[in-house]
Amino acid sequence: MRIEDHVAKAQSIERSLARCTAADYETVIEAAMLAGTHWFNIVLHRTNVLSTEHDAMHAEFLSAHDRRKVEATAPAALRSLDDIERLRTPYVRGNMPGGEQAAARAFACLARLREEALRDTGS
Amino acid sequence: MKIASHIEKFERLDAVRRRLDPVADTELWIWTAMTACTHLLNAALHRCGVTEEFDSFHSQVEGQYAIPDRDKGTLSEAQHRPGDLMHVDQPPVERRKPPAVERACTALKIIEDLREAHVRGNQPIADGAAGQWERAYAQCVAELSAALGISVAAAR
Repeated sequence: MRIEDHVAKAQSIERSLARCTAADYETVIEAAMLAGTHWFNIVLHRTNVLSTEHDAMHAEFLSAHDRRKVEATAPAALRSLDDIERLRTPYVRGNMPGGEQAAARAFACLARLREEALRDTGS
Repeated sequence: MKIASHIEKFERLDAVRRRLDPVADTELWIWTAMTACTHLLNAALHRCGVTEEFDSFHSQVEGQYAIPDRDKGTLSEAQHRPGDLMHVDQPPVERRKPPAVERACTALKIIEDLREAHVRGNQPIADGAAGQWERAYAQCVAELSAALGISVAAAR
């Protein structure tokens, strides 16, 4: 998808996310994953890891080759999306204690992904 | 997860979904509706014996589970028979589902299939489509609630 379309989708999801608090941690984590993946795709397209014809669905499903390229070009973005993805099994699909702290972590990682993507676009 | 935990998750997610609008909050409405219904589906599948009620959580990899150590607060990975599903028929189940649960799965699949077009992609929403999504959600919840013998006022 085109970079400007990823920006619009990420911002749309973040507007909806604004209706949630850390108490809604399952939705916060999922929204951070969804918006964060759109921000992450901007980074991938800007750094030519993937063309706009090929979007990443989940960071952990990138090929080993593409992951190594992102680790070299945008390690903070990759680490942030990986961190969000790791919260899904214990706090969205599962019921481990500490959901609100996990939501705070998801918010922080999403902010980092947004910063990385917008720095790339110069917005 | 255990049946009671799935129902609690459903109720928490459904409460958020009620604050969202399927047109203004398209992406998060779709995702929250799907996640809520998946928890309710897992509860119903456990209750009718199609899948087993384990204290484990489905991971991002089909058929792979995280097993909690409740005392230590840690997770370990394992593969076992279902267990929780991640999505409809992911992982596939061997036992036949009751008709009401099959109907719920058909309704949930309508919501799952919106992801590519409207969450990951940016296709416009056709006139009347959001109403169809809400009806699919309501039907899924109604079928599963009946299967579980619980009362949920999901439709709005």
